Amino acid sequence: MTKSNILSGTDLSKKYGDLEVVKNVSLAIDAGEFVCLVGKSGCGKTTLLSLISGLEKPSKGRVSLDGREITTSSEDELALFRRDNVGFIFQSFNLIPTLSAWENVALPLFPIKMTSEERRRRATELLGKMELGHRIEHLPSALSGGEKQRVAIARALVNNPKIIFADEPTGNLDSSTGEAIMGILNKLHKEEGVAILMVTHEDELAKTANRLIRMKDGEIMS
Amino acid sequence: MNLRYMMKELYYQKRRTLMSILGLSIGIALLIVLNSLSLAYRQAAHVPLKEIGADITVQRSGDVPKELAGPVFPCSAVTIRKEEVEKIQKLSGVRGMGTGLLLWVFDPNRAWIVLGIEKENSIGPSLLRSSVTEGRFLEDGKPEALVEQAYARQFGIRLNDTISVADKRFPVVGFVDASRAAKIAVANVYLPLKDAEDMAASSKELQSVSPYAPGDVNLLFIKADQEKITGLASEMKGILGNKATVATPDSFLKLLGSLFALSDKFTLAASLIAIIVAVLIAFKTMAGNIAERAREIGVLKAVGWTNRNVVSQLMSESVIQCFMAGILGLLIALMASFGLSFMKVNIPIPWEMSPTPHFLPGGGDQIFKTLQLPVHVPWSLAFFAILLSIIIGGMTGGLLGRHISKIKPSEVLRHD
Repeated sequence: MTKSNILSGTDLSKKYGDLEVVKNVSLAIDAGEFVCLVGKSGCGKTTLLSLISGLEKPSKGRVSLDGREITTSSEDELALFRRDNVGFIFQSFNLIPTLSAWENVALPLFPIKMTSEERRRRATELLGKMELGHRIEHLPSALSGGEKQRVAIARALVNNPKIIFADEPTGNLDSSTGEAIMGILNKLHKEEGVAILMVTHEDELAKTANRLIRMKDGEIMS
Repeated sequence: MNLRYMMKELYYQKRRTLMSILGLSIGIALLIVLNSLSLAYRQAAHVPLKEIGADITVQRSGDVPKELAGPVFPCSAVTIRKEEVEKIQKLSGVRGMGTGLLLWVFDPNRAWIVLGIEKENSIGPSLLRSSVTEGRFLEDGKPEALVEQAYARQFGIRLNDTISVADKRFPVVGFVDASRAAKIAVANVYLPLKDAEDMAASSKELQSVSPYAPGDVNLLFIKADQEKITGLASEMKGILGNKATVATPDSFLKLLGSLFALSDKFTLAASLIAIIVAVLIAFKTMAGNIAERAREIGVLKAVGWTNRNVVSQLMSESVIQCFMAGILGLLIALMASFGLSFMKVNIPIPWEMSPTPHFLPGGGDQIFKTLQLPVHVPWSLAFFAILLSIIIGGMTGGLLGRHISKIKPSEVLRHD
């Protein structure tokens, strides 16, 4: 891992029983870099993302995030590390249906000791940036797909992460909404300098990234 | 634990939350009502003895003379010797004692049930002082009589009349209504103990079957330490032999015959069953709710919630649900107890404790003490029920939370 690397994975493998889903993969992402991981469905992209984001432990290999080896960390240490350094955006938004837009954004802050007003202020500010300032009290069920994903992006940003992991963030959106979401991600990367690792199976979307990593059958092709 | 999140989750799953609260509250209510009823029966069983200022009454059964003439002892209350009384008085746990001498007096033209009573004692029939309806209570050193009001009415006895009992004359100085008080050792005429003793001592018929000397009695009323009553009862039987009849609140409880009265074990078992069923209902509903939230838990963990954060959140939801169930259960129980407190209970008084010759009118009738069942929810029980519901909530939430918190976010968040 070089000094500018925010994330590096070395010789990563993941086996489920006899099935090896990720095979000896090594990759590194620089701070502020926008990397797209592309490949067909089932090629191991999401598993690789889970490994390098600390959501899952590899069967073999090491992961360093912001200079810290996370492969040997306990589950709770990983959770705390994710809370302080990482943001996630999922294809199906994964918003909590009972919480309003601002509460969903503030979800990572709930276990942190801070006033409710401070949480709300931070969440509202981010929702404003996502042009959802008028929807802060709405429940996810009252939001469109694009709005839900923008809430999810705001949630990924609320802890000022060094890197955002996005797993097919436009997969559940129509093409124009998808483009808008990509626009936000690009803007974030350019203006805020947040590193992004995005998994997608659409080559078209991947073109906007700084770098493209292709995967096939659990291995990196290029 | 986030309060806002917790309340929103409970509100979002309104139906499930209500089901869970209702299920557990019924169990809690049953627990409270069953125990309150059991307690009420226990308290009711104390009433007949309490009304005579005692916790234990002691008699000894024996024979009646072949010929019923003059003063005799009823077969259920023959001589208890002075030495035996002293032994009983010295038993550890005995806090006080009252005595009485119950006689059947068969005069040529009338039969009397006579009770010789002490004039000053807060234990035993001297409590009749508060049941005088007309005239006054007996005074020291005077051979006077109190007559039971109903008996006086039946036989036309008036205040200041003189009645002749066993050839001795007594002015009637007052009427008493013993029917409103204790149903134990009820007589037609109440005389000073000394006069009753003289009657018993001079009765050949009585002496022929149950030797008697002044100072002996045939009724003992004992005030005792509550926790020692059972032990004292068996010690007294040891002193007086196998013909002793020792009545305690427990013996009245057995006479009540109710399931609640019969056994603490029944109440305990029924309460446990109620609680177990309620806990299972609550557990099943909460387990269903938590299982449905696996994806949500995965999100929480992905965004940085530790296992402990997840468990404490789920536990707080469960605790608040169960706490509400506890409060609702308590309210239901209070209403049920209020309703049940209008219930009347008839406590049978054994014939032996208030013997009337069978050949006299009403002599064979069963006597009952009727009272409203004193059902109420003690604070300690209410507190215990609420505490129990909180513990159930904590354990349920803790167990389910620990189980679900082990979920790996990557397993549930893989895109559909």
